[in-house]
Amino acid sequence: MFNIIFRGLATGAIYSLTATGIVLILSTTNVMNFAQGDTGMLLAYVAFLFIARRVPPILTLPVVVIAGILLGLVVDRGLMSKAKKSSHLGMVMITLAFTMIFEGIVATFFGNTPLLFPPLISGDPFIIGSTVFDRQNLLTIFIALVIFVVLFFVLYRTKIGIAARSIADDEYGAYVLGVPINRITNFIWALSFGVAGIAGLVTAPRLSLEPTFMVVVQLKAFIAAVLGGMNSVMGAILGGLILGVLENFIAYYIPAIKDSFSLILVVLILLFLPNGIFGKRETRRF
Amino acid sequence: MLKLINVSAGYGPIEVLHGISIDFGTDKIVAVLGANGAGKSTLVKTISGVVKPTKGSIIFNDIDITGKDPSELAKLGIVHVPEGRHIFPNLTVKENLLMGGYFRDKKENEEMLSFVFELFPILKERENQSAGTLSGGEAQMLAIGRGLMGKPKLILLDEPSLGLAPKVISEIFHVIKKLSDEQGLNVLLVEQNAKKALDIADSAYVLVLGKVVLSGRTDELKENEEVKKLYLGGSHV
Repeated sequence: MFNIIFRGLATGAIYSLTATGIVLILSTTNVMNFAQGDTGMLLAYVAFLFIARRVPPILTLPVVVIAGILLGLVVDRGLMSKAKKSSHLGMVMITLAFTMIFEGIVATFFGNTPLLFPPLISGDPFIIGSTVFDRQNLLTIFIALVIFVVLFFVLYRTKIGIAARSIADDEYGAYVLGVPINRITNFIWALSFGVAGIAGLVTAPRLSLEPTFMVVVQLKAFIAAVLGGMNSVMGAILGGLILGVLENFIAYYIPAIKDSFSLILVVLILLFLPNGIFGKRETRRF
Repeated sequence: MLKLINVSAGYGPIEVLHGISIDFGTDKIVAVLGANGAGKSTLVKTISGVVKPTKGSIIFNDIDITGKDPSELAKLGIVHVPEGRHIFPNLTVKENLLMGGYFRDKKENEEMLSFVFELFPILKERENQSAGTLSGGEAQMLAIGRGLMGKPKLILLDEPSLGLAPKVISEIFHVIKKLSDEQGLNVLLVEQNAKKALDIADSAYVLVLGKVVLSGRTDELKENEEVKKLYLGGSHV
């Protein structure tokens, strides 16, 4: 029982990380970023380059964060902020294109064969009673918690974070006040891509490194975001954790619908709770 | 102060303003009156840089500001309080206010915050409440207060009385008048409520279909037969 919950929370933490990235971008720029998962994939390969040169896996954490931030800045400044002028749908298509480009780049340089990604932390699991605490899972949950705290600090306690929330609320209102919209969306892309890198890095050791290893995570994160109402960071976090735990229970008790469960769930949510499980659409965005 | 010389502007191929000229001169409060669709909001948006003029020029304190963006103009001291208020419902009242002073430093913001709270004590009471829970009048006070946070020299108020009870309107107009008298704030007041606007403004312009058809001192305009009939008539005050 506790084993299932614990493993579910670890899986859920990954969904939550990816889902928060999606929601951050969606609520400030109205762009559904289909490349959130694959950005993490690309950055996990960047980490792999370092690990292959005998850098301890855990030390690649700052590497993926910095690489993610830089990538986010380049993507927004070089492409998204320019595409904004022409068409909104175009921006969404660009993110779809990124999934193919990122997967293509990785396949070209590393091939399609799965590579083994070492755990970020090694050692035997802790066992308390009948519950097994795998170190990698513990670390995943811990890192996710730290990131969530940082995100909330940024969004609620810093000027740029509050400005990002104001844009999510009413972009025109922020614009006429002279809030520099472009600089703030730039910041949000960088922040989201940094989080994407972390999601990729904690997922890679659980699966194996291959160009499509984050595709399922992207899908699940999307469902987690829907669960959380699509516009709230808190919703995305809880949505991811709930999805992770539910999934693990289903896999244990009703293994037959293990894979289809999350899709069934999304249909049910959209049918009965179209604004997510956390209430009304306009009440909370972050 | 502010001077518009023959300004035309619009949205894409549709021109809304046709050669508008406005001069503040030494006036503190200038009202712009007109019916729905006269181009009042477009005029405000053109001055604040949301809409770019296609012809003419806009001069603010001897600087040519034609075509500048809102973020540059806000720094120069022109703040736009938009129609419909556009407050941020999920941010607290205080966070809303801080966004008005986004480009000011922390010390200036703290000073302005206590100034705004003094001006609208109700906002102080609701400081940590999310702005979505405010009443219409409170929301309008927040919108104006938020605009003041940017330390403007000129504030553009677009329909501040919209949807508010007469008592609240009087309260807000009283504050506007007080700000201009005591702080020397210049105000461009766009209103459908012509009577109230003429009461506090120094001069006024009447807009019809994107053109200035009438302008002058408010005391003169109040006596003007056409203005009386069209804007001050008993039916819609």
